[in-house]
Amino acid sequence: MKKTIAVRNLRLCTKDCLCLYVCPTGASDTENSVIDTAKCVGCGTCAAACPSGAISMVPVEYPPQQKKAGAVLAPAYALANAKARQEQAARQLAAAAESDGLYRLLTAMARSVRLVQEDLLRESGYMLPQSGNAHALLQGWVDSPPSPDFPTEAARRLLELLPNNDAHA
Amino acid sequence: MRYVCPICGYIYDEAAEGVPFDSLPDSWGCPLCGAPKLMFEPEAAPEPPKPQPAAAPLAAGDDDLQPLSAGALAALCSNLARGCEKQYKEEEAALFRQIADFYTAAAPAAEDPSLEALEALFRDDLDSGYPGLSAAATAQGDRGAQRICVWGEKVTQMLYALLGRYQREGEAFLRGTQVWVCSVCGFLYIGDTPPELCPVCKVPAWKFDKIEGRRPA
Repeated sequence: MKKTIAVRNLRLCTKDCLCLYVCPTGASDTENSVIDTAKCVGCGTCAAACPSGAISMVPVEYPPQQKKAGAVLAPAYALANAKARQEQAARQLAAAAESDGLYRLLTAMARSVRLVQEDLLRESGYMLPQSGNAHALLQGWVDSPPSPDFPTEAARRLLELLPNNDAHA
Repeated sequence: MRYVCPICGYIYDEAAEGVPFDSLPDSWGCPLCGAPKLMFEPEAAPEPPKPQPAAAPLAAGDDDLQPLSAGALAALCSNLARGCEKQYKEEEAALFRQIADFYTAAAPAAEDPSLEALEALFRDDLDSGYPGLSAAATAQGDRGAQRICVWGEKVTQMLYALLGRYQREGEAFLRGTQVWVCSVCGFLYIGDTPPELCPVCKVPAWKFDKIEGRRPA
C-alpha cells in the first residue's frame, strides 16, 4: 500500500507542468489542479521534479498522538469552557449590535475566540482526528446520542472513515 | 526611556523619537500591531532567571476534568475538521463541521450579555486562566501547551484592550477602517490593510480574514 500521496499548493504552483510529464498515472493532470489522490501511487517523482516546490508528499498514515498530562488538561479544559462562554456572549452581542462598528468588532471577537479555543483543544488531546481520544468521543455519541437531533450518522461515518492510531499503542 | 509592546515586542525609544512616551495621546497605538498605548510597559532591566513556577494546585487525575460544555465541543469538532482539511480529507472535514454546527446551535444562551461582562471574562483568563495553564505546562515540559498560552494570552490581551477602548471612545476608531482576524491564531487587528506579518504567530497578511459588516437588508 502507498505510504504517501502528493498534494499541490496552488499558491506556490507556477504551472511549469513538469509533474504532468513525470507522473506515471496522470494523477496530477486534472481540470481543477488538485492531484487525484485515487490515481496517485505515492512515488514522489512529481515532488522531486517540481521547480517551484509546490508539491509535497503527505503521509497516508499518522503516528499515535502525543500524550497529555492530566495536570495540563484540567486547567486547559476549564479555560476552553471559559472561551466557549466568551464566544457565545460575543455572538449574541454582535447579533444585538445596532452600529456597524460594534457589529464587526464583536463578530471578529467571536471568530477570534473560536480560533483560540480550537488551538487550546488541539493541545488538549484532540490534535489528530485519527487519535484514540477522537474515536472515544465519536463512539460515545454513537452509543448514546446527546439529543434526538444530534447528527449520529455523521459520527458513525467518521468512525468508519478514520483509523484509530492509538488502538495498539 | 524605552517602552515595549507586549504583543509584538516593538520598542518605543523616547531618545530616538524625541517625544516623551507620556505625552503621546491615549489613542496612540503600536505602529506594528495596533496594541494601545496603555498596554506598553517600560523596558525592564534583564531579570535573573526565575525559579521554575510551581504547577497549578490542580490534581492530576482525569476525575478532576470539568466536562467540556457544548460550546467547547463545538470548537473541539471544528478543530478536528481543520485537522482533516490539513490532511486533504474533505468528507471527514464536512462531517466534523456538521457535528460542530450542532453543538454551536446547542450551546446555551448567555444570560444578559454585556460588553462589561465579556470584558470581565477576558480579564479572568488573563488573571488566572492563562497563568494557571502556563504554570502547569511549564512544570510538565509541555511546549505545545506553552505555545498556546503565549499566543492565546496575547490575542486575549488585545481583545480585552479593544473592548475597553470601545467602551471609552465609542465607534469612532472603527469608522472608515477594517477589522481583521488572523485565521491561524485569532489575533484581531484594526486597520485599512492587515499587517504584513501576524505579530503573534508570524503568518503572512493573506492569512488574515476581513470581517464584513451586515449586508443591507
